[in-house]
Amino acid sequence: MIGRFQSCKICIVQKICFILYPVSPLLQKNTSRTLVPAEDPHSGEQFQKLRRILLIAFGGLLLLLILGGLDALLSVLKLSRIEQEVTRRFTAHSQALSAITVSVHVYDDQMEQYLLREQEPAHATREFDAINRSAEIHAALQQYPLDKEPDEQVLIKELERGLAEQENSFAVASSWSAEDRHQRAHRFIGEQLIPQRTHILQITQQISLLNGRKLGEKKEALAASFRSVQTRLQRMVGLALTAGILLSLVSGLYILRLERQGSERYQALVRSRQELEGLSARLVEVQEEERHSISRELHDEVGQTLGALLVDLGQLGKLVPPEDRVIQGQINRIKAVAENAVKSIRDMALLLRPPMLDDLGLIPALEWQAREVSRRSEMEVEVRSENVSEELPDEIKICIYRLVQEALNNAATHATARNAKVTVIRGMDKISVEVADDGHGFDPDRQRGMGILGMGERVKRLGGMLTIRSAGGTGSTVSAELPIQPAHSL
Amino acid sequence: MLADDHQLMRSGLRLMIEQQPDLTVAAEANDGREVVALARSLKPDVVVMDIGMPNLNGIEAAHQITQSQPDIAVIMLSMHSDESYVLRALKAGAKGYLLKDSAEADLIKAVHAVAGGKSFFSPAVSKVLLDDYVRKLKRTGTEDAYDLLTPREREIFQLIAEGKSNKDVANLLNLSVYTVETHRANIMEKLRLRGIPELILYAVRKGIIS
Repeated sequence: MIGRFQSCKICIVQKICFILYPVSPLLQKNTSRTLVPAEDPHSGEQFQKLRRILLIAFGGLLLLLILGGLDALLSVLKLSRIEQEVTRRFTAHSQALSAITVSVHVYDDQMEQYLLREQEPAHATREFDAINRSAEIHAALQQYPLDKEPDEQVLIKELERGLAEQENSFAVASSWSAEDRHQRAHRFIGEQLIPQRTHILQITQQISLLNGRKLGEKKEALAASFRSVQTRLQRMVGLALTAGILLSLVSGLYILRLERQGSERYQALVRSRQELEGLSARLVEVQEEERHSISRELHDEVGQTLGALLVDLGQLGKLVPPEDRVIQGQINRIKAVAENAVKSIRDMALLLRPPMLDDLGLIPALEWQAREVSRRSEMEVEVRSENVSEELPDEIKICIYRLVQEALNNAATHATARNAKVTVIRGMDKISVEVADDGHGFDPDRQRGMGILGMGERVKRLGGMLTIRSAGGTGSTVSAELPIQPAHSL
Repeated sequence: MLADDHQLMRSGLRLMIEQQPDLTVAAEANDGREVVALARSLKPDVVVMDIGMPNLNGIEAAHQITQSQPDIAVIMLSMHSDESYVLRALKAGAKGYLLKDSAEADLIKAVHAVAGGKSFFSPAVSKVLLDDYVRKLKRTGTEDAYDLLTPREREIFQLIAEGKSNKDVANLLNLSVYTVETHRANIMEKLRLRGIPELILYAVRKGIIS
């Protein structure tokens, strides 16, 4: 019997050790597996490379756009400057030519007037006018900007020659006497002055035409270079557009990849979280199962063995004559030891798993718990129940029992309450539990011990909700609602 | 008849009973179902039965036996002295409640008591029940309702607790059954009791019966 007891004891010790340390190996093993998968070291490098390429590509595109824009801007500026220059030159030429024409006309008019005049003017005045007019023509001619083009130069020479001829003719005519003049003036005008003037005007006409042609040529050249700038710009824009589209495609793919990875990671996180929750639920379950089996082991094996031992000792005591004080005393001492062992084994078993839950059901177990707390502490506990049948699922019973146990222990030890009230009410599809005490309360948001966490975990596992209301001095209320299959018979 | 799922316990109990000249063990049962079946076929006078048994627990088994065969007296054997257990055992129709610790000392007494139509509770049980009761009264500051009973009511209370029917009580005290019923209703009302099991429990608690 002793051998058997010892082997029992060893197995219990092993199991208790397992209760105390079940979390660490399991948790470690599982967390390392369920956490976000470790990132592939190559993918990080790849990402960095890709990022660099994208950066360079975007920079290149931007540079291309800026350079293209600058080039176009400069070209347009240059062209517009050339155009302005061309126009200005043309205008200058035209102006100079018209000045020459006007001067020639004025000169000729005055000469005509001079030749056809009736009276002799003052000599000085006549000379002055003629020289003056001639100087004006020359000044106008000087104003004419020379492009050093052979065509133009030939024409200008021709013009100079014409003017010189005219001046010569006038020099001859001006030396005439009044009589000569009178006789020859009309003929001179008709035969020399007008043809000379016509010739000069024809030359200016030609020069003007030449200027016009040159303007046309230059404008043509300008238009051509403008077209080339346009083509260059178009090419640049086309290139930039293609590069941009390519780049946005690449970046789009990159973003999609990132997004996919992000969502994968999120999924992994959610999954690992769910697994952790499952694990903690499983831990609670395992703990409960282990407690149950150890409790049964203690109660059934050790407790019963000791019980039988006590009975045997009683029998032995009867067999020994009462006068034999030594043996009687020895038997009584053994009995006392065995009774002590029975008591401690029973207390351990009760703590691990109250047999009332299985033997009597939830409410009697709660009543027992209430009386136990009352016996141990200064707190009186009242249990009230409504509609609670004993056909509850085991996990619900355990959950409620542990919740009440924890809440009552808290109330009695930490809150030093004098009274507590446990209420269990069965509704159609839920069962609600409330433990209210008149202790000094606590701040449920800050003081969350393992006990409360454990309660929350148990309740959450069964799809219920735990509420703790407490404030300093006004006691606390722990309540929970657990969903339950609608009862067939209440 | 003995019922316990532990061989060691059963053999210890058997040894004690067989030492008595007027007692024999008719059968031993290993679990709740077996004890119900054996009780039906063997019709023993007394069944001594553990509360925690596999298949069908002692409370349920006791209930089934006392329902179908009211003549059989059931003694519950338990490790627990708590009120919850005692009340359940009483509700299941048990006549005696014996703690395993004191089985060796009280078993024979208990068997004789229930066989004689009385009830029996281990002294330790009565003590625990009384302690709980007194503590509660003290802490909540309420009066013991028992003090509110008249002497006649106390007399009737005791007789009912000992298992006497209304008719027996009426005969014993020379009263009409109707009067006894009225007294009984008053007692239940004053002590706020629901049913005979609670009344017996109350009596055990007060040490009126044992």
